[in-house]
Amino acid sequence: MTRLTVLIGDDEPMIREALSEVLAAEPDLDVVAIACDAEESIALAVRHEPAVAILDMRMPGGGAHAAREIRNRSPRTRIMAFSAYGDARSVEEMGRAGVTEYVLKGVPNRDIVAAVRRVAAGAA
Amino acid sequence: MADADRDLHLLVQSVVDYSIFMLDPDGYIVSWNEGAQRINGYTAKEIIGSHFSVFFPPEDVASGKPEWELMTATSEGRVEDEGWRVRKDGTRFWANVIITPLFGETGELRGFGKVTRDRTQHRMAEHALRESEERFRLLVQSVVDYAIFMLDTEGHIVSWNAGAQRIKGYRADEIVGSHFSVFYPPEDVASGKPDRELEIAVVEGRLEDEGWRVRKDGTRFWANVIITALFDETGRLRGFGKVTRDLTERRMAERTLDERGRLLAHLVQAQEMERRRIAWDVHDDTIQSMVAVGMRLQLLASRLPPEHAATVERLDEAVSSAVQRLRGLTFRLRPPGLDGDGLAQAVDGYLAQAISGTGLTYTFTHDLLREPPPESAITIFRILQEALTNVRKHAMATSVSVSMNAVDHGVLVRVVDDGVGLAQPVERLAGRDHFGLLEMRERAETAGGWWSVSGRQGEGTTVMFWVPALMYGESGVS
Ligand SMILES: Nc1ncnc2c1ncn2[C@@H]1O[C@H](COP(=O)(O)OP(=O)(O)O)[C@@H](O)[C@H]1O
Ligand SMILES: [Mg+2]
Repeated sequence: MTRLTVLIGDDEPMIREALSEVLAAEPDLDVVAIACDAEESIALAVRHEPAVAILDMRMPGGGAHAAREIRNRSPRTRIMAFSAYGDARSVEEMGRAGVTEYVLKGVPNRDIVAAVRRVAAGAA
Repeated sequence: MADADRDLHLLVQSVVDYSIFMLDPDGYIVSWNEGAQRINGYTAKEIIGSHFSVFFPPEDVASGKPEWELMTATSEGRVEDEGWRVRKDGTRFWANVIITPLFGETGELRGFGKVTRDRTQHRMAEHALRESEERFRLLVQSVVDYAIFMLDTEGHIVSWNAGAQRIKGYRADEIVGSHFSVFYPPEDVASGKPDRELEIAVVEGRLEDEGWRVRKDGTRFWANVIITALFDETGRLRGFGKVTRDLTERRMAERTLDERGRLLAHLVQAQEMERRRIAWDVHDDTIQSMVAVGMRLQLLASRLPPEHAATVERLDEAVSSAVQRLRGLTFRLRPPGLDGDGLAQAVDGYLAQAISGTGLTYTFTHDLLREPPPESAITIFRILQEALTNVRKHAMATSVSVSMNAVDHGVLVRVVDDGVGLAQPVERLAGRDHFGLLEMRERAETAGGWWSVSGRQGEGTTVMFWVPALMYGESGVS
């Protein structure tokens, strides 16, 4: 089984830690990098070229900005938004940055995990 | 002839303002005076011996009026008549005539005394007065800038003019007979304001008031009202005259310039900033922490033996439903869209999100060409939000329609549902633990607008409000 490498970008430490634990508990997922803002997310994505980058919408520097840069500079990386905001405007904004999977914070863990696998599968 | 008789004879002869002469029992003229010559045009020589019917127009002669007058005078002791009489030259004059029968000592009819006055001038003056009154009535009728109408002593409408129709929207046949309290907002009627105004007008003679009045279609206008009590010569109250002007536009123009308007705009926006800050805090801190807690609880549950896992799962469910409620709170505190997309779009987005999943269908129409100033937009949005919350909570409706229209340099909003309607008058629904209706009214009135709710039981509910939407310094006159 090929393991999926994952980058987490979120400015909220409690979310970063909980999310990385949830993903690490899955046998097929590897959290390779954890960033706390847009610039760090971009830098780590370029360095690790993860299969999936899970980005917070509202982290400093902007989730949409990070998504666009990562798509440019690490084209193999698929991007998933993980956001506390589910309104149409936020979803649209991420859509324009090339994000196809939008997961609202607060959904069950298994839905998060399923979404990560779905995004990665979209890459194949 | 005694001296006194002679004097009297002289007096009668020389009076010029009255034609005074005598007839024999058959109506032939036997005496004549100065006044008669002046008024009728004949000299004594010309007329004495003629029948007095020569003074009547031919149609009166044909109908036997001269004879009838003599007969009536004989039987009644006197006859008075007003009508056209003919002068010697054929012209006519308007005469007041009194004929008195003259009886001898033994009671036999000796003839008649006839006194005639020329009332032509008087009649013309009266006629002119009546015409001028008629013209004045027509003027009042056709004035369109003022509603001018009359009330009876109880306050029922007895007349109506073009201005009243234009300002209030009723035609005369729809409104005459109604009590004038239909023009007052329900809260004023409930507090007895219409009757109080009449009472004051009776005591002081006159009352002036400014305030909201209601048009036929339920919308309101800012009125200047003057009520005048009308008394007759004996001092008895006959009714009231009411003159009303629509000052909506002037009031708005003044408000946009005054300090109060500026302060209000500042307050509304400051309150909104505060809400936004709270919404962000809840969102970015509280919700995120709780989401993280939930994620860990789920992880924990997956690692525990089943009997303990169930407990932790329930804990997670509790956290997750709290997150849902907090999301609802932040949505209400700061609906997305009001920040930058404009009012109509914000309302559209809010409807999509707030109504979807409730089983309600909705329509939204608007004709706003220009974005209202931010404080107006916020006020409108917040009232709308409250009204829609009530529709969801109380109406049991299947559909709701929302419209926003540019009216009187402001925005008129209607929220109409087809639900259960209102079981009681508003005054009894509001208050105690229910602040929604009060808050809506207060927001609208603080902004210089008005708010109303109506809906009979079983007929759905309509919330209607208007909020001025002028930029500072902009004049209310287009
Ligand atoms: N659209 C509506 N349809 C039916 N009833 C309504 C509607 N809006 C308000 N009401 C009635 O008016 C009452 C007062 O409303 P409100 O002041 O908003 O307080 P609350 O919503 O907290 O009860 C409600 O309890 C309800 O009985
Ligand atoms: Mg309510």
